[in-house]
Amino acid sequence: MQRFLLLAHLFLTACNNPQPSHEADPTRLPWEQVIEQAKGSTVQLMMWQGDPLINAYMQQYVAPAVKQQFSITLEIASGQGNTIVQTLMTEMEAGKSVGELDLMWINGETFYQLRQIDALFGPWTERLPNAQFIDFQNPFINTDFQQPVNGYECPWGNVQMTLIYNSEFVKDPPRTRAQLADFVKAHPGKFTFDTQFTGLTFLKSLLIDIAGGGNALDGPFDEAKYGQYSAQLWDYLRDIQPYLWKQGKTFPDSRSPMHQLFSNGELWFTLTNNDNEVDSKVGQGLFPPTARAYVPDFGSIQNSHYMGIPKLSGNKAGAMIVANFLLSPEAQWEKQKQEAWGDGTVLDPSKLPGDWKQRFENLAARKYAPSRAEMQSRALKEPAPEYMIRLAKDFREQIIER
Amino acid sequence: MAGIYKGKYASLGLFLALTALPIALGIGYALLRSMGLAGLGAEGFTLRHWEAVLSGGEFWRSLGLSFRVAGCSIGLAGVLALAAVLKAPERWQRGGLSWLMYLPLTLPAMVVAFVVFQMLSGAGLVSRLAYKLGLTSGIQDFPNWVNDSWGIGIIAAHVFMATPFFIILFAQLYQSERLGEYAQLAATLGATARQSARRVIVPVLLRQSFPTLVLYFIFVMGSYEIPLLLGSQSPQMVSVLTIRKLQRFDLADIPQAYAIGVLYMVFVAAAAVFLLRNNAEKTSSTC
Repeated sequence: MQRFLLLAHLFLTACNNPQPSHEADPTRLPWEQVIEQAKGSTVQLMMWQGDPLINAYMQQYVAPAVKQQFSITLEIASGQGNTIVQTLMTEMEAGKSVGELDLMWINGETFYQLRQIDALFGPWTERLPNAQFIDFQNPFINTDFQQPVNGYECPWGNVQMTLIYNSEFVKDPPRTRAQLADFVKAHPGKFTFDTQFTGLTFLKSLLIDIAGGGNALDGPFDEAKYGQYSAQLWDYLRDIQPYLWKQGKTFPDSRSPMHQLFSNGELWFTLTNNDNEVDSKVGQGLFPPTARAYVPDFGSIQNSHYMGIPKLSGNKAGAMIVANFLLSPEAQWEKQKQEAWGDGTVLDPSKLPGDWKQRFENLAARKYAPSRAEMQSRALKEPAPEYMIRLAKDFREQIIER
Repeated sequence: MAGIYKGKYASLGLFLALTALPIALGIGYALLRSMGLAGLGAEGFTLRHWEAVLSGGEFWRSLGLSFRVAGCSIGLAGVLALAAVLKAPERWQRGGLSWLMYLPLTLPAMVVAFVVFQMLSGAGLVSRLAYKLGLTSGIQDFPNWVNDSWGIGIIAAHVFMATPFFIILFAQLYQSERLGEYAQLAATLGATARQSARRVIVPVLLRQSFPTLVLYFIFVMGSYEIPLLLGSQSPQMVSVLTIRKLQRFDLADIPQAYAIGVLYMVFVAAAAVFLLRNNAEKTSSTC
């Protein structure tokens, strides 16, 4: 036993001596020098790769552009929130001095966890020349799940949750919580939500509505408020549970199976965090042409997604160059095109030079989802991350395992 | 002579270093993490994560489901494969069919899971066929075969993958153990085909393949992709539950994931040692 403890002790102490990276801190260098330092380097980006349009934008537009303009090779690895947190945690626990990742696509929940384990490099975003165009006055951009971003992650895009329905079967989609309950009861088995981010985001909007709507849950996590309003949420869900898909005994594990059930007609509704998805999926023939997106009267959560740099990155300069390119008017404009990705820009068009404002305004409108301006009036802010953690846990106890 | 021993010990040492040591280190680390003694945010020695796992019903339900699913999958696939081999032992040795048998084995588990989902879900092919034939009047009449709490979809996917594997295994054993000759011998002694199958062929096939069946059982119990897509949210199979605790939303759940990993490993290792040792004793006593 003593030997085992000694071994364990050696093993752990050997792991707890991270060496500082030798790279010069790029936030202290003039931008030209950052460009110089990054030349010829490779940037490892980890991102969710579940959408062919997004992948094409990255592989066919961004990667060649940074190669050509800055001689940076962009390598993309697949992995979202939890994988990123696990990867960085493991690297830190193993005491690595230089990690595998240089840049990561993250938002709220992951940002919170990475800040919890102190894995993020920063502040760095203000050093980017293109940061001057960011719409930092916008609370949906400067705050991520009620946490000020404070230069530790760089805004990249902005989206709002929509409900997607099949207008062939649903003529008048439910607008309020009460209407939704009536609709679900009248059409058993046609509505559900997943247990991952998308479904939890939907639950958060219901929780905000129960709490009085608008800014009701702004600010830090409030145990009393959560207790009071979540109890009402569980009552509401238990009331409709027998009429949900599979009698509410199980729920799709993520957005993709839910989309699958929607396309083959088993479900009449699906959910998405990307307000442009209905147009792109209909365009690709994956959703029926009768699919439409809308935001109910009780609103839906709008949030931004960001790029973060890990503390252990060995190529922070390269990561900053790539992030700066992603923020450039041309890259943001390309990304907002319907046929490319349709992701909302985080730039303030009025700040942009030349005819960029005009060009953003001239982008083709989408066909199957309401315009961004129309949805904005019903946009809800993300509540503090603890609300989501608690909802995920209590949803299991109160609904799934009941 | 001493040189031979030295070489033997060196190779044994190398073998242990490559197999046992990484596992021992992994378990040691998992134990430390589950007790709050290692990892980021380690809180110091505590048993509360173990208490949470052992006293909550979630883990036990999950273990029960994994056991049930593996048992049903191996049982069904074994019966199907035995029937196929007994029916025509030579057919699986040569010719087109023997090649065709390898096809399901080349498919990744995720693909098989998706095929089963497309076939058996409410709006899947079987349900559509039933509707066209007038057997059901819509999705609501079709039974719950995927994402159900019994794991029917999971079992279907595993049976699809395991049956050809077992057929190949049994057919090869049939040949290498010369069971055809034994069957003939039994027949000359007056046994019916049924008697020789029940008393001679099946017992030999099962005994010889027992270690493989046990290992496949463990493989099914620990499978991930298939139950992830085809399983229900509650209970979840052990691997899905562990990954959920490890990766979803609450960092404070991570020590529980490690505790579940250790517990599961102890159960599986104990069961495997017990079964395989019993089998070895039986085999040696009958030979």
